[in-house]
Amino acid sequence: MKFRINLILLLFGFAIITSCDLQEKPHGFYSEDNFFQTAEDAESGLMYAYDALTFLEYSRGIFWLGEAPSEAVSVKADEGPDVVSLSQWQIDGYPTNSVLENYFQYAYIAINRSNAVIEQVPQGDFDQSLKDKYLGEAYFLRAFNYFNLVRHFGNVPIHESTVSTVSDTEASMSADIDEVYDLIISDLEQAINLLSIDPMLGRADKVAAQSLLAKVYITIASAKENDVPLYTDMEKDVDQMYSNAAQYSGEVVNNQSAYGFDDDLMNIYDIENPRGPEHIFLMSMDRTGEVEGDYSKIGKLFIPYIDGATIYLENNDGTYTPSHDGFSSLQTNSSFYNSFEDDDRRKTDLMVDSVYNENGQLTAEYPGSILYPFTRKYIDPNFIGDKESTKPYLIRYTDVALIYAEAVGPTTEGYQTVNYVRNRAGLGNLQPGLGTDEFRRAIIQERAYELAFEGNRMFDLKRYNLVNDIVPAASNLSDEEVTFYPIPQTELDLNEGI
Amino acid sequence: MNKRIGTKLVALVVVVFSLLLFQSSVYGQDGSTVSGTVLASDGTSLPGVNIVVKGNTSIGTSTGPEGEFELNVPSSDVTLVFSFVGFQTQEIELRGRTELTVTMNEEAIIGEELMVVGYGTTQKSDLTGSVSKVNAEDVADIPASSVESLLQGRVAGLNITNASQDPGAGSTVRIRGGSSLRGSNSPLVVVDGFPIGNAGNLSQINPDNIESVEVLKDASASAIYGSRGANGVILITTKSASEGETNISVKQQTTLSQFTSKLNLWRDPALMAQLSNEGRENSGFQPLYIGEENATGVYYPSVRELQTGSWSTFTEWDDLVFRDYPISNNTTIRVQSGNETTNFSLSGNYFTDRGVYVEDDYEKLGYNLKVSHDIFENLTVSFSNRLNKGIRNYNGGLAYWRNPIRSVYDDDGTYNLVGPNDYSHPMAITENRNDQTKSLDVITFLKAEWQVIPSLQITSRFNYDYGESVQDTYYPDQYTETGDFNNGAAGINNWQSRDIVAETFANFDKTFSDVHNLAATLGYSYERNLSRSSSLNAFDFVNETLRNENMAAGNPELNQVSNDYTHTELVSGLSRVNYTYDNKYLFTATARMDGSSKFGENNKWALFPSGAVSWKAHEESFIDDLEIFDQLKFRASYGISGNQGISPYQTLSRYGLGNYYNDGQWVTAIGPGYEVGRTGQGGIEVLWGGIPNPDLKWETTAQKDLGVDMAFFNNRLRVTFDYYDKVTSDLLRERILPISSGYDRMWVNDGEIQNQGIELQIDSDIISTRNWTFNTSLIFSKNKNEVRSLGNTIESGLNTDPKTGMRFEYWGNSLAQFRQYPNILAVGEAVNVFYGYKTDGIIQNLEEGIEAGLEGDLAQPGEFKYVDLNNDGTINGDDRTIIGDPNPDFTMSLEISGSYKRFDASIFLNGVYGNDVLNTQAFNQPSETPLRWTPDNPTNKYPSLRDSRNTYLSDWWVEDGSFLRIQNLNLGYTMNLWQDNTARFFVNASNLYTFTKFDGYDPEVGSNGIYWGGYPRLRKLTVGVNLSL
Repeated sequence: MKFRINLILLLFGFAIITSCDLQEKPHGFYSEDNFFQTAEDAESGLMYAYDALTFLEYSRGIFWLGEAPSEAVSVKADEGPDVVSLSQWQIDGYPTNSVLENYFQYAYIAINRSNAVIEQVPQGDFDQSLKDKYLGEAYFLRAFNYFNLVRHFGNVPIHESTVSTVSDTEASMSADIDEVYDLIISDLEQAINLLSIDPMLGRADKVAAQSLLAKVYITIASAKENDVPLYTDMEKDVDQMYSNAAQYSGEVVNNQSAYGFDDDLMNIYDIENPRGPEHIFLMSMDRTGEVEGDYSKIGKLFIPYIDGATIYLENNDGTYTPSHDGFSSLQTNSSFYNSFEDDDRRKTDLMVDSVYNENGQLTAEYPGSILYPFTRKYIDPNFIGDKESTKPYLIRYTDVALIYAEAVGPTTEGYQTVNYVRNRAGLGNLQPGLGTDEFRRAIIQERAYELAFEGNRMFDLKRYNLVNDIVPAASNLSDEEVTFYPIPQTELDLNEGI
Repeated sequence: MNKRIGTKLVALVVVVFSLLLFQSSVYGQDGSTVSGTVLASDGTSLPGVNIVVKGNTSIGTSTGPEGEFELNVPSSDVTLVFSFVGFQTQEIELRGRTELTVTMNEEAIIGEELMVVGYGTTQKSDLTGSVSKVNAEDVADIPASSVESLLQGRVAGLNITNASQDPGAGSTVRIRGGSSLRGSNSPLVVVDGFPIGNAGNLSQINPDNIESVEVLKDASASAIYGSRGANGVILITTKSASEGETNISVKQQTTLSQFTSKLNLWRDPALMAQLSNEGRENSGFQPLYIGEENATGVYYPSVRELQTGSWSTFTEWDDLVFRDYPISNNTTIRVQSGNETTNFSLSGNYFTDRGVYVEDDYEKLGYNLKVSHDIFENLTVSFSNRLNKGIRNYNGGLAYWRNPIRSVYDDDGTYNLVGPNDYSHPMAITENRNDQTKSLDVITFLKAEWQVIPSLQITSRFNYDYGESVQDTYYPDQYTETGDFNNGAAGINNWQSRDIVAETFANFDKTFSDVHNLAATLGYSYERNLSRSSSLNAFDFVNETLRNENMAAGNPELNQVSNDYTHTELVSGLSRVNYTYDNKYLFTATARMDGSSKFGENNKWALFPSGAVSWKAHEESFIDDLEIFDQLKFRASYGISGNQGISPYQTLSRYGLGNYYNDGQWVTAIGPGYEVGRTGQGGIEVLWGGIPNPDLKWETTAQKDLGVDMAFFNNRLRVTFDYYDKVTSDLLRERILPISSGYDRMWVNDGEIQNQGIELQIDSDIISTRNWTFNTSLIFSKNKNEVRSLGNTIESGLNTDPKTGMRFEYWGNSLAQFRQYPNILAVGEAVNVFYGYKTDGIIQNLEEGIEAGLEGDLAQPGEFKYVDLNNDGTINGDDRTIIGDPNPDFTMSLEISGSYKRFDASIFLNGVYGNDVLNTQAFNQPSETPLRWTPDNPTNKYPSLRDSRNTYLSDWWVEDGSFLRIQNLNLGYTMNLWQDNTARFFVNASNLYTFTKFDGYDPEVGSNGIYWGGYPRLRKLTVGVNLSL
C-alpha cells in the first residue's frame, strides 16, 4: 500500500515536470508586451523617438557633417582625428570614420523608435484623433531621418518595421535612391494628412511635414538638374519636382498663419524665445537636463576658448549679454567672414568680433586674442556651467521661404521673398531680371549667409554639385567622392543583407 | 621392617607420580581454561571477536559484550588466533598463561569508505568518477570564517585563492580551471543535498558542523547536477549523532593576527619630499616641498625644514589605522544524543572576526538543530533548522599611506584636512562614516527516507532558505566625496531572497546471482528562487546627528530610489544506473534533464548525459598474484554538463527609458532599445541592446577523464592519478550587430574554452603503530587553459595582432595607470594573459632613445627602453605582445603529520608555480623610488622620477609570482578526562612564512593577476581547546 502511494507520487512528480510552465514574465521593465497600450504610452514612445535626435552622436553630427566640411568653417587641429578628417576631406579614412558611423547609427536608432510607434499605436485602445497625431509625427520623424541618410550616404539599408529578431537586423540596401525618396515622400504625405497645424516646442506638426516635403522636392529637383551623381538617374521629372516644391512650400508661405517671418533678426536667435514664429521644428534640449543630450553644448562648438571665462557680448542698444566661452571647435574661415557685404547685419550683428567683461571693458577681439569671429546664434545668457538650452534650428520659416523662392524662380513672388530676407538683413534688393538658373544660384548664396552655421550648407552645396568647386580641400575630388559618404565599413562587414 | 617400608615407599612414589601425571593431563587435555578481555587500540572493548586455537580450529569462542572471553584449551602451549573484521589478526602463544588481555589494531581496509555522491552514497572502491574527499578532522584546527579557505590545497584540481583578507571575505574557487567568461566559474555547493548556490561565500555554514566535504570533479560525478554541474560540485555533509552516543562538545578557539612583513611606507620625510620634488621638476611642474603654500592654500615644508627638523610633525598613520594584533574568536557548543530510533544534535556558534583596520569587524551568531527519528522501522524522518545572524561593520579602505608630515589634528582640535577636497583622513572617516550590514539566513530542511524493501529506498526532501540583509550607510559632509558633494549622503539597501527546493528520488541496490550488482537512482527536483531588493538614498541634511535614521529629513528633491525583483524556476528529472559484474567491472550511466525559466524560449529543456567504466584490476587473479597492488583500479568517464550563465530575463525583449524636453517640460520617454553598456573615452558612448534571443541557452561542457587508483604495502601507500580534458562551448558572448539595426549588442552562445590537465595525489602511512603515526600527503595539479574560439571575428569585434595574426579582445577593466587594458582573451592563449610592450632596460642617452623608435619625452634618458618588435622604426600599439600569464603552471601541496601517544603535529605546505603577477606598485614603493635613475645614478633597472610620464604597460611591471607557503603548522595534545571524556588542546599557526621572489607583499592575487598593493598577508596564531564530554 505504502509502495503504491509513493509510486503514484513519483509519477505525479513527472507529470508536473512536463507540464510546468517555465515562461518568464518580465518584471520591472517594459517591452512590447506591456507597453503601447494607452495614449500616454503612445506619447511616451513618440518622445523616445524624438529623443534619439538629441544624442550627441547625432546632434553634434549635424554640424560635423553639415558644416565642418564646408567652406564656411574649419575644425581645430586637436578636435579629434575623425572630425578633422571630415573637415579636410581625407576620404581614405571615411569607411572607418567613427563620426560617420555614429551619425549613421543614430539615424537608424531614431528610425527604429519611429517604427515602433507606427506599428504599435494603431493597436492601442484610445482616441483616434490622438492616434492620428502620434502616427503623423512618427511618419514625419522616419522621413526626417531617412532624408538625412539619403542626402549624406545615397543608397542605404531600408527598415520599414521594428527590428525585433536577429534576422531583422540584416536589412538589404535600397535598389536606387528612388526607393528611398519614395518612402520619404509617402511618409510625409501621410504625415500631412494625419497632422494639423499645432505649434509645440520640440514637436512636429502639419507645417513641419509640408516644409520637409518641400525640401525633399527641391533637393531632387536641383540635384537632378545639376547632374549630381545618383540623382541624374532618378525617374523623376525636374519640372514636376520644382512644381511640387513650390506647391508645398507655398502651403507654408501662403496658407497658414501660425508661422511666419520674424521681423526682428536678433529675436530669431533669442534662446529664451524658442516659440518665435520662425521655429517650425527645433531639437529640444534644456539646461536643466542631467546628461548631455538632455542639455545642450552645441553653442560651445562655435564659441572660441577665452581662458574659461564668462564673456560679455555687446548688443545694439548698449547692453551686454553674458555667455560662457567654448571649445573653439568650429572656426569661422576668414574667407567666408570677409565675403559678407560690409553692412550685412548677419555679419555685423550676428557675428562677434569683440568680447567684453561685465564692466563693459574690451577684453579680447578678432583679429587678436580671439582666434576667429564667431556666430551669436547659439548664445545662452542663462547658462549653468557647461549646460545650455540651445536648440539647433532644424527647420526654420525663412529656410522654407527661400525654398519657395527657389522653386518658383525669378517671378514676382520669388523676388519678393528674397528681397524681404535681404532687407531684413540690412541689404538692398537682389539684382532684378536674372535668368532662372542665375536666380536660383543667387538664392543658394543668400542661403549661405542667412542659414550660416545652422547645419544646412553642405546639403545646399551637394544638391547644386558645387562641393568640389567651392570647398578648397575638396577641389581635386570627383563628384561621386564629394556627394556621398561611403556606407561605414563595419556595416558592410556585419550586415549580411548587403 | 625393611620389606614393609620399601613397599610403602614404592606405593607413595606411584601415587605421587600418578597425581603428577594426572595434574599434567589436566593441562594437556580439556582441563585448562583461558580467560581475558579483548580491546581495541583506543581502549574500548571489542565484542564479537573470534578466537580459535591455532591448528585446532574446532576449539574456539568469541568475545562477549564487554570484550570478555573464556576458553578451555587442550594445553597451555597452544597459540590462540584472534580475528575480527577490520582488525589485524593476532596470534598469541599462551606459554602457560591463563589470563590474557589482548589489544587488536585496526586494519586499514581498502575502500570501505563511504563517499557521498549526488543523490546517494557509494563505497569509495566502487566509484567510477573522479571524486575527492576531505575529512573534517584534518582541517578542524584552521581558523576560518568560511568553508572554502579550509579546502585550500587539500584536493587535487581544486584551486582556491584568497585575494582579500577582510573579515567575512570570500574566496575564489575553481575546479579544473575556469571555463566561462560571462557566466559563473564557481562550483555548485550542495549542503546535505540542498544546492545553496555558487562557492565563494559560504558564511552560512559553520565549519565546525562539517563532517566531510566531497568534491565531484569529472562529468560522471557532476553531470547529475545537469545545467549547474559544469564547474564541478562541492558536497558538504554536516555532522549527525550516531546511535548510542550522548555527547557534549565545546570548541573554543582564539586567533591572533599580525602582518607577515613590515609595511612599505615613507619613514624618512626628507627623502620623500626630495624625491617628490624631483618627480615634479622632471615633469616641468612646480615642486611641492618648497616651504610655501600651494594654489589651494596648503603649506608644504621645504626639504631643508624636514632635514633640520624645524618641521617636526611625523605621524605614523599605519599605527593609527591598523589594529596591533587583531583578535578573532570562535566558540561552538554542540549537544548530541541518540538511541536506536531517534537522534538529535543542537549546536550554537558565536564567531567574531576583527579586521586589520580599526573598527572593521564581523560578528556572527548561529545555531543548528538536527533531529532524526525512525517513525517505523523502515521510515526515517529528519528535520533541521539552521539560522545565522551576521553583522558586518565596514571601516576598510583607510589611507594608511597618508603623508606622514601631516598631523592628525589641527591646533584647534579639528581634523587636519589638506586642502578643500581631502576625503581620505582616516580618523575623520572612522569616526564619522557609517557602513553596517546586518544579515539573517534561515535554512529549514525536512526529509523522509523510506526503506521500502532492503534493496529500495525512497527519499523525499524539502528545503527552504530565507535570506535577508539590510545595509545602512552614511557618508558625512566634508570628509567623504559623496557627502561633501551632497551635504551628507544617507542610504539604506535592502535585499531579500527565498529559495525552495523540493526533491523526490528512489535508490535501488541489489545483487543478483552473487555476481551482478545493479544500483539505480531515479528522481525529480523542483527549485524556485525569488529575490528582491530596494534601495533608498537621501541627501542634504541639516545636521548629521541622526545619520541615516531619518531619511525624510533630507532634501526631498534629491531623493533617489531603485528596486529590482527576479523570479526563476528550475524543474529537473534525474537518473543514474550502476552495474557491477563480479565486483571487477563497473559501469555507470547518468542522465539529467533540466528545464529552466531563464533559458530562451526555444531552448527551455536541456539534457545532460554521462557514462563511465571502471575496472578493479586488483580483483583479477593475475594481478593479485603479483602481490604488488593492494588496489589497482582504472577509470574512464565522459559526460556533458552545463553552466546556466544566463541572468533572469536576459532572453526577453526590453525597452529603455529616456528624458525628453517636450513643449517646455521634462517627460519620461520609453521605447525600444535600452542601455546595455558604455564605451568610448570616459564611457561617453551608449551601447544599445534589447533584442530578444529566444535561442539563448546554457554553456555546455564536455569532459573526459581517465584515472587510476593504486594502493601498495597493505594500503599504506595510496596513489590516485587523473587526466582530464574539458571543452566548454556555447559560451555566452555579446555579438555585435549591424549599426543600421539601431542596436549594438545582443547575447548569443558562441565561443569555446578548453581546460586540460593532470592531478596526482600520493598518501602514505609511513608509521602506524600503537604509539606512533607518521603520514604524508602530496597533491600535484597541472591545468592548461586555452581559449579556442571567440566567435566570428567581426561579429565579436575582435582585434588582430598585426605581427602574428592573433585574434583577441580586451578583457576586464582598463587601468588608468597605463591607459590600457592589461588582460586579453586571445584565441590560442589562456584566459587573462597580459598584453603589452617589451622593455630592454633604461635609456641612458637621447640617441639611444631615438634609435629605439621613441620620440619626445619618451626618448629622454631615464625612460623605459621599449622594444620595437615589428622593426618599423616606431614604438606604437603594433609592438605589443603577450608578456605574461597569470595562470599557474602547476600547484602542489604537501602535508606531513604525525602523532606520538597523546601528542599530534602536522605541517602543511602549499605552493603555486609559474603564475605571473602585474605589480602596479613596482615603482611606487618607498623601498624602490630612491633607486631611480638620475644622471649620477645611471641604473639600468629603474626609470627616472617623472610625474607626467605616459607609462605604457610593459613586461617591466610583470613579475614571477611563484610561491611556497608554510600554510599551516599544527600541534595538539589530547588529554583523557574522567570516564570517556577527552580534551584536546591545540595550537595552529597559519601563513607562517612564504618563500617567493615577488617584490610586493604577497603574490596571491585574483584570477586576473593584478597586484594592487594593499597590506601584507596576515599570519594567524590560534590557540584552542576542544572538549568532548
